[in-house]
Amino acid sequence: MSTASSDHTSDHAHAPQTEGHHEEGEVHVHVNSPLFMIAIFAALIVLTVATVAVSYVDLGSANTFVAILVATLKASLVATFFMHLKGDKAIHSIIFIGAFVFLIIFVGLTNDDLATRSAVDVDNGSHRLERTGVVAPGGLQIPAAPAGATTPAAGAAAPAEHH
Amino acid sequence: MSSATTTEASHSPVEGGHGHGQHAPFLAHHFDTPAHQFDSAKLGMWIFIATEILMFGGLFVAYGLFRGQETEMFHQAHERLDKIMGAVNTVVLLFSSLTAALAVRQSQVGDRKGTTRWLIVTLLCACIFLVVKFFEYQHKFHDGLLPGHYFTAHLAQHAHHGHVLPYRAHMFFALYFMMTGLHGVHVLIGMGVLSWALKRNLDGKISSRYFTPIEIGALYWHLVDLVWIYLFPLLYLVG
Repeated sequence: MSTASSDHTSDHAHAPQTEGHHEEGEVHVHVNSPLFMIAIFAALIVLTVATVAVSYVDLGSANTFVAILVATLKASLVATFFMHLKGDKAIHSIIFIGAFVFLIIFVGLTNDDLATRSAVDVDNGSHRLERTGVVAPGGLQIPAAPAGATTPAAGAAAPAEHH
Repeated sequence: MSSATTTEASHSPVEGGHGHGQHAPFLAHHFDTPAHQFDSAKLGMWIFIATEILMFGGLFVAYGLFRGQETEMFHQAHERLDKIMGAVNTVVLLFSSLTAALAVRQSQVGDRKGTTRWLIVTLLCACIFLVVKFFEYQHKFHDGLLPGHYFTAHLAQHAHHGHVLPYRAHMFFALYFMMTGLHGVHVLIGMGVLSWALKRNLDGKISSRYFTPIEIGALYWHLVDLVWIYLFPLLYLVG
């Protein structure tokens, strides 16, 4: 039975086995030093301040990229050290990362769906791919009368009756 | 989490299967060893964490999808959120993650008082988070920045000739309330789990040989922190 023990050298303090329980099957863990944990916390705060500061600077679409990157760094620190994935059994990391792999599949297929079907827009009867103007499968049937140019991507000005 | 519960039952006559005549009081009968029990509890918790990530993942995908379609609206609507309050809550949650991890550490080395202290600090941080959240929600309710047809901010804006939020801004607030609301429910559940862990510690059930309730409770709390780590920048900072 392998346990959650680890043998890195970085941090120390003493696992329970130093207290005289040497029996087979006891829980063995790697105990972090409080100072090390406070250092991780300090890093998390620095990253938080950084991401808030960057949000005041207009970098265009790079703002989102930076925000997600910093958030991922912070999440990695929490998972690796506070949640003890480092030095833990590999299966826990595999499960954790596996959740994100499935999330990426979810995002990917959703994006693919959105990018390859025509916009379903009642107001405009659009039946074309917004990017290329090519007729795409799905969506609404185009009415007999030609429905003008390809239209407004979402987010454009609003039809009045909705207000 | 239930796998972590201890069967307090004294040794029943049908005991067998494990060779030690006397086994530790915290060891449930269906586990061979304390390590076996500990590993099983953690494995179960990690699988649960994966399902939680996928549940929140659905909301994050919805956020990404609508944001892609309504980028300008999201940007203008997100400016109605209070960055500073969000940042304060981020710091509070990060600190509570530290104190939860310290509680686990103290339980691992058998420091019962230290475990109690850090668990209480963690619970206090959770309360501060919810109080800040309450004031944020109160402000949104007051301004009519609500989901769907409850959204009335545009009426007030017209009355005061204020800045008019773009069409469909209610979608942003629907996502805002769903995401922070579900997260808030997790904060409440996390407080329940940590209180339960605290009670077991006060009852003297936790030792350096058996700290599973603290470990599992803290893992749940870190998950709450993880979700917020993504919610904060996406809702408050970049919109």
